[in-house]
Amino acid sequence: MFDRILDPTGLPARPTNVAVAARRVPSLAGARVGLLNNTKRNAAQLLTELGDLLRDRYGAVVTIRRTKPHVAFPVDEPMLKEIAAVSDVVITGVGDCGSCSASAAADGIAFERVGIPAAVIVSDAFEVTARAMAGVHGDENFEILLTPHPVAVLDAEQVAERAAELVADVADRVRESAR
Amino acid sequence: MTGGTLDGQVTDALDGAHQSIEYMYDQGWTDGLPVVPATRELVDAFLATTSRPADEVIGRLDHLKREVSVQLAAINAVMAGCRPEYFPVVLAAWDALMAERSTVGGGWQSTSGPAPLIVVNGPVRRRLGFNATGGVFGPGFRANATVARAIGLIVRNALGVVPHVLEQATQGVPGRWAMCIAENEEESPWEPLSVDGGVAAGVDAVSTTLLRASEFVDNRHTDDPEALLGDFADTISRTGSWIFRHASAGVVFCPEHAQMLAAAGMSKAGVRDWLIERCGRSEADLARAGKNHVHGNVRRQSDDGDPGAFHRYFADGAPKNLPIVVAGARNAGISMVVRVFSNWSGISARVEPPRDGATAPAV
Repeated sequence: MFDRILDPTGLPARPTNVAVAARRVPSLAGARVGLLNNTKRNAAQLLTELGDLLRDRYGAVVTIRRTKPHVAFPVDEPMLKEIAAVSDVVITGVGDCGSCSASAAADGIAFERVGIPAAVIVSDAFEVTARAMAGVHGDENFEILLTPHPVAVLDAEQVAERAAELVADVADRVRESAR
Repeated sequence: MTGGTLDGQVTDALDGAHQSIEYMYDQGWTDGLPVVPATRELVDAFLATTSRPADEVIGRLDHLKREVSVQLAAINAVMAGCRPEYFPVVLAAWDALMAERSTVGGGWQSTSGPAPLIVVNGPVRRRLGFNATGGVFGPGFRANATVARAIGLIVRNALGVVPHVLEQATQGVPGRWAMCIAENEEESPWEPLSVDGGVAAGVDAVSTTLLRASEFVDNRHTDDPEALLGDFADTISRTGSWIFRHASAGVVFCPEHAQMLAAAGMSKAGVRDWLIERCGRSEADLARAGKNHVHGNVRRQSDDGDPGAFHRYFADGAPKNLPIVVAGARNAGISMVVRVFSNWSGISARVEPPRDGATAPAV
């Protein structure tokens, strides 16, 4: 009887899920790091701190910093290519709102699909929406790095502390040796 | 009788209805209230009310990999409890919503949890029984209730923006998916909202904008139009609603307030101009809320500045920043300030006229 009830979602019966993880870099020494800032408050500062820590502790070098034109949407193709061309690994975030946390997950998956390992940083208040977006973009088990909410209200010193807490996870997320 | 099943087939119609409702809950297709099962026959009756093809794409969110077709809109309108003849109004409401900047950005996923205010103008109001008078924001009228609900179900089901998942409203807005009002054109002294949206008076049209709140102004206390508007200015100017350099707000005037202002010689534009000049706060007031400095376009705390400086609430007097509607009963001086999420697109959508030969089967 219920097969006469029409589906209001327009979704295919079986969603496709194809996890594609880029090959991790063997080491961060000399690795080129791209930073993609999603414009949320303190995102640029957190990424800068992480870039500095990856340089000081692991010998990586930040080669490109870009800011997304629209916080709610995933990175567009030209910016993705521009970053991918000069990066061995990418760090993006901070997912700190409804739409931007979701799009941060999509950004990470997009970089992985072009062969760049990506660390995506999301406030833990938005974990569910980021994971749901990962599913929408075909990799429901995509690994997201969580940081305690809130991020936007932190002062400069607190942002630096967050970066220090995150940097080992970021490194482990993108390099081979730890996996 | 309780009915029952025979070889897995439901033999009682009411049992079947109940089981259908539970089935649709199990699928995650409802907004929390029961929905009507959308059958091919019923959806076809809805599709017969429009000249638009069933597969026409009328909305999309590429970042979520989802799109809305006329057919999906019809399925959700059936589920919401619409009658077939309401469907052209649902489509017009959807078209108007898609003209809004926020709805094609991340607005539906926002922590602010905005909700559309849908305003219906023209003869369609009476033809389909839209309430324009008493309790206009409240329930009790099928056309108002189900058109608003249809929009919510389309966003949930066809766009996939589901609460706690891709929808991240911190609290959301009371009346979400329930705010569809008809303008009380008969008792308004002014041109309808749809005229501000570019559609001639007397033509069926729908305007929408996303809201973050509605708050009443009860003023039965003065016969001075400036004192009355000052009461609105006070409500509009509260700091909590203000996050960027400027903000937008609309007013849904009750007929009594609108007529009092019109009797004093004020046009809608005149009311807007009065409010534009006076709505706002001193920098000292804004400093107490941490909002006294504009950085980029966002308000922030700063120790610098001029505490006596006056910050205007509105960017300018365009209808898209301060839409004005007249609705409600002529029984008291009670109006509503509505908090616009970003601003109104300023574009009203025409409602497709009834098609010749289109019949509306009993539902």
